[in-house]
Amino acid sequence: MPSPVQPGKPISDRVRIVVATSVMLTFISYWRAAAIVLNDLGSSAFYAGGIAEQAVGKSAPWFIVAVMLFSFTVRAVYVESCSMFVRGGVYRVVKEALGGTLAKISVSALMFDYILTGPISGVSAGQYIAGLINNIFSTADVHGWIPRAVHAIFHGTPQVNENWTSVAFAVAVTLYFWWQNTKGIQESSEKALQVMQITTVMVVILLLWSAITLLKSGYQAVPFPTPDNLKFREESLGFLRHTWLATDLARKFGILGILIAFGHSVLAMSGEESLAQVNRELAHPKLKNLKRAAVIIAIYSFVFTGLSSLLFVMIIPDPVRITIYKDNLIAGLAMHLWGPLLLRLLFRTFVVVVGFLILSGAVNTAIIGSNGVLNRVSEDGVLTDWFRQPHPRFGTTYRIVNLVVFFQLFTILASRGNVYLLGEAYAFGVIWSFTFNSLAMLVLRFKYKGERGWKVPPNLHIAGHEIPVGLASVFLVLLSTALVNLFTKSIATVAGVSFAAVFFLIFTVSERANREKFALAKQQMTEHFQLLQRDTVDRSALSIRPGNVLVTVRDYNTLNHLKWVLERIDTHEQDVVVMSARVSQFGSAAYDLAMEQIFSDYEQTLFTRAVSVAESFGKHISLLVVPAADVWSAIAQTANNLESSAVVAGLSSKMTSQEQAFELGRAWEAMPEPKRQFLLQIVRPDMQVDTFHIGPHTPSLKTEDVHLVHRLWLNITREPGLDKLHHHDILTEALTRFARDYAGHDREDILKDLRKSSGRTVPSRPVRGDGFGDRSQPLPERSAKPVRNKKKGDEGPPSPPVVSP
Amino acid sequence: MGLPAVIAIRFLEVMFMTGGIGSFFVLVLSGIEDFKTLIGADDSIQH
Repeated sequence: MPSPVQPGKPISDRVRIVVATSVMLTFISYWRAAAIVLNDLGSSAFYAGGIAEQAVGKSAPWFIVAVMLFSFTVRAVYVESCSMFVRGGVYRVVKEALGGTLAKISVSALMFDYILTGPISGVSAGQYIAGLINNIFSTADVHGWIPRAVHAIFHGTPQVNENWTSVAFAVAVTLYFWWQNTKGIQESSEKALQVMQITTVMVVILLLWSAITLLKSGYQAVPFPTPDNLKFREESLGFLRHTWLATDLARKFGILGILIAFGHSVLAMSGEESLAQVNRELAHPKLKNLKRAAVIIAIYSFVFTGLSSLLFVMIIPDPVRITIYKDNLIAGLAMHLWGPLLLRLLFRTFVVVVGFLILSGAVNTAIIGSNGVLNRVSEDGVLTDWFRQPHPRFGTTYRIVNLVVFFQLFTILASRGNVYLLGEAYAFGVIWSFTFNSLAMLVLRFKYKGERGWKVPPNLHIAGHEIPVGLASVFLVLLSTALVNLFTKSIATVAGVSFAAVFFLIFTVSERANREKFALAKQQMTEHFQLLQRDTVDRSALSIRPGNVLVTVRDYNTLNHLKWVLERIDTHEQDVVVMSARVSQFGSAAYDLAMEQIFSDYEQTLFTRAVSVAESFGKHISLLVVPAADVWSAIAQTANNLESSAVVAGLSSKMTSQEQAFELGRAWEAMPEPKRQFLLQIVRPDMQVDTFHIGPHTPSLKTEDVHLVHRLWLNITREPGLDKLHHHDILTEALTRFARDYAGHDREDILKDLRKSSGRTVPSRPVRGDGFGDRSQPLPERSAKPVRNKKKGDEGPPSPPVVSP
Repeated sequence: MGLPAVIAIRFLEVMFMTGGIGSFFVLVLSGIEDFKTLIGADDSIQH
């Protein structure tokens, strides 16, 4: 029964809020981490070769190979940056090393890189699809399968405009993933792994078939990367094309020519930065797994991107390689392998399917990555909380997603399907984001003497000083390439600098506004709340007893479920904890987060409302903020750590209560032992309540099943030597036999029968009881569906649980 | 345009070459560590 209400009476002057400073994560293996990064890095194999050859000529594959080898060293820099045990994440690391201004420029470059990943991947996938469509039309026309009427319409063989088809495709894919990200999909390592498995099949076939082709049909030599063999297009000299350097540049300055060519090939290693994004999700032992993932990524991308670039020139004839296949070179390679046309066409289709999967995945990764970066800087106070405002229905940072997708759509339309143009611009973001990261790491070697898991070798020690030779070398290559690219990629430089300037301006203005706002908010916070930072969440931090009720809140306009709990619970007997999970985006820092990174003004408003609800009931609540990669996992882990007897949530606007229970049940199953079962109660807007059991529990039996067991018991106990048999012995025997049959040949029959019977199951009668007030009450009957309390004010709270999801 | 541009270009070339040679050592040394990591014999934690 509700306790007497004393509206408006404050419980204490300052309400204590425990803020967990470590993100509750679900960890992934190094194979899955490698797959996520390779979805981004591997996708560049589909376009990097064509772009590089257009820029520097036929010797471009050697530069791609050189870039892929160099990517091993860039990867080493990222491993070092990920292994630094500093608080707050990468932006804070860069800010600490280079200061606020350079850190903002660095983030702007990274944003340019991420935002362009989407358009180049989408347009490139579109080019592969459009190329295949045109190829199929041409082949069909040769065989006379195209009707004359169609011929007349197209004035010849039907062909689609490859550039505009690519634009349409890229726009469609981007919009699709915009909606998915607005709804809040998780980065799925499972899907990434599947895509990489299919891609690996394609790569193996491609390499083996290419080897056969080289043996059967011979090959064209790839000219060595000497100054004589460098053939720069006018566009690939950028601002230099109007100077005296334009004529015979490579011969005048041999190494400069190589440097320019290297700069045009650098986008082959784009995606390396995703390594830093997946780092926090890696399972223990983190550093070892990070290094394993990094080496898998480097070897895979070297084999795929590096070798396939060489094969393009060796196998595809000069007259068609650039004129026809410049934007879909792997498809061109498939069409020039040794073997019958139909087989080659089928393989090309497979290449296009793989390209579609991996490049579309990269579009999604680009949105997730950009969202992650902007969330990170928003958490760090560089963007105002306005950007982090959760979507009213889905709880996602939709304003950031909208901003990112707006830039991506603009880029796609502005490019008009020109992959070369997009590639040049993309390279600008890639090289500058790598350069800033390596510079930050270099500076931190001198400024930050704290613990590091690993350092880029070699490091010389002279007179007690460490000289980071390796790190400095990587930085020099990156910086010289970035500087040369400024002059040789005119459109990229103008676009990149403009973009970075716009973002820099947004960051600067936003940070200033935020600083003033935060100072005010901090003052208000100090007046009303007492913030206690804890690395992890446990009962002692909140001073609560076991068997408490955890109430999850997100939207301050929908706190009905909190009212429902407070109406029923005597908080002197049972504690109530109100928890808000702050979604910490993919790529954000993982531990030791600062208060302002977790606690925004949104949480302040949310908790102010929650406290006023509690005050209106005259009851005390404990408040908790938890940063989480996955909300369900955070709820399950928190309920477990706090030894909660029940979790109470409102009905999600995008899921049914069964789906919510299923997600929480899945998160519970993924938790390591020891773990406790608890009830999940979902309060609907009409105050009806669905109750679920999370974790294994004693199933309730239907009356006829109980009778059946009893009849069997009666019969069996008449047999000699079985007079002491118990009912549970019959169930044990039955279940053991069932498990054996299920593991054997009868699996399908069992599943068939179960499907039939599950369709017939009727919810059994709900059992009423005071679930919160009497936790010792035995669990009531089972039903196949959640059972609702019939109406508001119904005193029978949490009743009949359902099988855990 | 002449001399300052040539000096700047030579400077960039020296940066690139020096960095390239150093990066080669990074490649070899980290490659050896990678090999150890892959065969599970890596316990290199530097502080």
